Amino acid sequence: MKRKTISLLTQVAIVATLLSGCGSANPDTAQTEAPTEKVTETEASKEAEPAAETTQETAEPITITYANFNASGGNEATLDSMYQAFHEQNPDITVEIETIAMDDYFTTLQTRIAGGTAPDCFEMNIENFAAYASKGILAELSEADTSSLNQTALSAFSYGGKQYALPENFSTVILVYNKDLFDQAGIDYPTSSWTREDVDKAAEAIRALGDNIYGIYQPVTYNEFYKVAAQYGGSLISEDGSKFTINSPENIAALQSMVDRVQKTNVQPTAEQMGGMGDWDLFESGRLGMIPTGIWCFNTFTEACDFAWDICVEPGQTQKATHFFANALVVNNDASDAAKVAAQKWISFLSSSDEAAKIRLDAGWDLPALSDMNALSSYLEITPPDNRKAVFESLDSLVLPPIITDYSQMSDIISNAVSKAASGESSPEEALNEAQKLCEEQITLQ
Amino acid sequence: MTKEKKKILQAIPFMLPSFIGMIIFSFLPIIMATALSMTDWSGLEKFTIHTIPDHFVGFQNYIQLLTREEFWSTLLHVLYYIVLYIPLGFLLSMVIALVLNTEKRFTGVMRVLFYIPVLTSWVAASLIWKWVLSSQYGVINSIIGVFGMKGPDWLTNKYWAMPGIVLASVWKDMGYYGLYIFGGLRGIDPTYYEAAKVDGAGKMWTLFSVTMPLLSPTLFYCLIMSLINAFQLFPQVQIMTEGGPNGATQVMVERIYTYAFSYFKMGYAAAYSWLLFVIILLLTLIQLKLQKVWVHYES
Amino acid sequence: MNHKTQKIFYNILFYLGAAVLVVIVTVPLYWMISTSLKSKGALMALPIQWIPKKPTLNSYKKVFTLFPFARAMFNSAFITVMYVGITIISASMAAFAIAKIRFKGANFIFALYLTSMMIPVQITLIPMFIIMNKFSLINKYASVISPAIFKAFAIFLLVQNMRALPDDYLEAARIDGAGLFKIYRDIIMPMMVPTVATLAITTFMEAWNDYLWPLVMLSDKNKMTLTLALNTLNGQYDTEYNVLMAGSLISMVPIIIIYIIAQTQMKQGITVGGVKG
Repeated sequence: MKRKTISLLTQVAIVATLLSGCGSANPDTAQTEAPTEKVTETEASKEAEPAAETTQETAEPITITYANFNASGGNEATLDSMYQAFHEQNPDITVEIETIAMDDYFTTLQTRIAGGTAPDCFEMNIENFAAYASKGILAELSEADTSSLNQTALSAFSYGGKQYALPENFSTVILVYNKDLFDQAGIDYPTSSWTREDVDKAAEAIRALGDNIYGIYQPVTYNEFYKVAAQYGGSLISEDGSKFTINSPENIAALQSMVDRVQKTNVQPTAEQMGGMGDWDLFESGRLGMIPTGIWCFNTFTEACDFAWDICVEPGQTQKATHFFANALVVNNDASDAAKVAAQKWISFLSSSDEAAKIRLDAGWDLPALSDMNALSSYLEITPPDNRKAVFESLDSLVLPPIITDYSQMSDIISNAVSKAASGESSPEEALNEAQKLCEEQITLQ
Repeated sequence: MTKEKKKILQAIPFMLPSFIGMIIFSFLPIIMATALSMTDWSGLEKFTIHTIPDHFVGFQNYIQLLTREEFWSTLLHVLYYIVLYIPLGFLLSMVIALVLNTEKRFTGVMRVLFYIPVLTSWVAASLIWKWVLSSQYGVINSIIGVFGMKGPDWLTNKYWAMPGIVLASVWKDMGYYGLYIFGGLRGIDPTYYEAAKVDGAGKMWTLFSVTMPLLSPTLFYCLIMSLINAFQLFPQVQIMTEGGPNGATQVMVERIYTYAFSYFKMGYAAAYSWLLFVIILLLTLIQLKLQKVWVHYES
Repeated sequence: MNHKTQKIFYNILFYLGAAVLVVIVTVPLYWMISTSLKSKGALMALPIQWIPKKPTLNSYKKVFTLFPFARAMFNSAFITVMYVGITIISASMAAFAIAKIRFKGANFIFALYLTSMMIPVQITLIPMFIIMNKFSLINKYASVISPAIFKAFAIFLLVQNMRALPDDYLEAARIDGAGLFKIYRDIIMPMMVPTVATLAITTFMEAWNDYLWPLVMLSDKNKMTLTLALNTLNGQYDTEYNVLMAGSLISMVPIIIIYIIAQTQMKQGITVGGVKG
């Protein structure tokens, strides 16, 4: 009886494999075919020709694929007009652009990399860069002209002494404040000479205005924590990058000051008081005095706030420290040589050409990562905020997150620990000791 | 040809499409995932024929998983969810089915209305419930407030976060199971009820002695499906609490996804899913054994 | 008299239960609609705005203008209809063999099918992708449609219901000399209409709302489904709840229409079953 079932199974299996058109059920062989199957028909025909040594003049028409997340949520048309400008200059290069929402961008990318069908060039963020570079997925960018790019941003995207990515844009974090609430409380507006203690005083004055009005919101999470730690002179990893220093006295003092705003003075709402809502929503409702947040908030706040607001460089403590975020453009190491050349042209155009920079600024998208600030002068003319030059002032005190391959795991461990401190479940010291222990246990630093 | 053999031959054309599908879309991926669970592969490299031998680590992932607290705490969270979700979901689905079965006025409208949550995507449903449950701005707590009480801090308190997720899940699922059970009720031969009536049985008595046993295959399907789905609880948690507060709603599939696609530990994630699989399988097998006690098939 | 009070009691119980359920179901839905009509600043205003103070259709405008809406709608409809069709045909055939032919080993295969539901899809994502790549299906509609051929839950649902059908019809048809396929098509399937309608809706919804798999498989903009397109409304930094709700409501409309159509099928099925039972 049993034998019959088995013979049935094998029969069906044989038919199945025959029908599916492949002699072996072994999926491993997929990788040998992957590069040619990759993109479109144009791509396939291009790869049939020996296109490796093409120069610009004799270039064969080529189609490359480009994936990004940055244009999702309203800037797809902007990206498209950049491409039109590029295609005019390089009529032989066609770029197929795919825009994927941030939430699933990296899942999609990783799946395609594993399957051997990753796009020829794509966007990368600072958090994932080291992991991708260390796996040999990214091509070294030998042909790109990097001279006009912001050097801090550029240095964030080199790995093992090689340049693997071109920064395409950057954002910093500044302190946004609600002018109307400052007026109501009868206190002075923040200036660049403020420290965190001045912020605390102002926050308390605003908190006193009403039960549902709060002074400041600086989420107690990994991202804010490593910056505030730097404002206290601390850091997460020792300078030579060999060990974690998460529970240093400076870091504990930094976390203590963040937690006090929630637990002690309550100038910052607790998780319960936030009720699961977003911090921007709270600011937009006019019930929040200050919020350190990214310059990408300008358009949204201009649209949504019916009160006066302005910005200032984020106050520090023993020193100033401001966030620096950058997205970068990379080339797939598996792409054909011709595609690599074309892809470098395209990403260079996106990151450093004057045309792209102009389109980017005119759309109010974000800032191109150029070193020459004069190119960005048109950016300063848009108001609100009036004090827009604070964005450039903040560039003087940039702090980069530690570039390690297990970045996400480290940031999750630390976020988890500091949020325990924020809810009062453990003291800042206990929380950071625990984070230090878990990081040492689960992450090996190179 | 024996009768059995003939039956098998007759069955082959009917089974063929789904069987091929199973081999390609289920069996092969599972074999690959099994092999991966014994490696330290990151998942951030092209998969080749050498991937598995090059990264082979034996049972190391399983040992690490079983000795770390994380696995057990996520299992516990899922069990907490199930203990709340299944009884509440069953109760409300049953009520829906019984209400629809009365064939009174408005039941046609209600049939559509009850099903709308089922037709909502998980993303939308979770977002709505994040608002509904918000302690400050939410509907539920403002209703509780009308009675002069203070509602719990649903999603931000570590004891109330999971019940909050259960409410959202029950809201979304009860229409599905409710209509399914309703279909089962309609399939019951009316002569059984007439017989019960002749015997002088009350409505409640009829419900438990006639309806429930005849409904048992339907209920069995609901039970198995909700168990399997409960263990794979994920999108609602991801959107409503992101595993918080302080990891109180961290569940297994969320961890699997994070290890695979955020920490680049595909091998570890594969081992995690294997353990999840074994747990679901064991529970289902227990259910299949138990079904002999309470499920009655007509034929 | 006693009987009458009992009747009143059950009536009250019915309307009370129905009312509670209706409230539970509709309040969140109302909230969804009201959010979609709010401007962004009003989302978090205190006191809560049950009725938007300044209702606006901006969110809806945004949804319609941001991407080629008609194209995405067509893609979703095409993929979903194919998906549902294939699921129903393949699953009902398998269920027929398992529940009615009852061949030796049917239970074993059935158990095998059930087990396949227990592996989380997140972990088979990469293996599935590699297999699809091997079949050169990447970026083709077929990659999203073909998994419909094996839907374990559909087979499970149909088997559970087919088992409840009496075998008398089957025997009668056999005696009349009808072939198995004819029995499957002309006798069993008509009796299964209500279940198939339920299955159709569930599958329709699953395919319509499916997100991660189509996202990974389809990179061509022209093949983008509505669910994928709606998700590009999410920016990197900010979620616009009002736009998201508007988008969700729009994408729900086709599903609700299908459901109402399927409803009539379910009713018909019930009458057919009633005549026979």
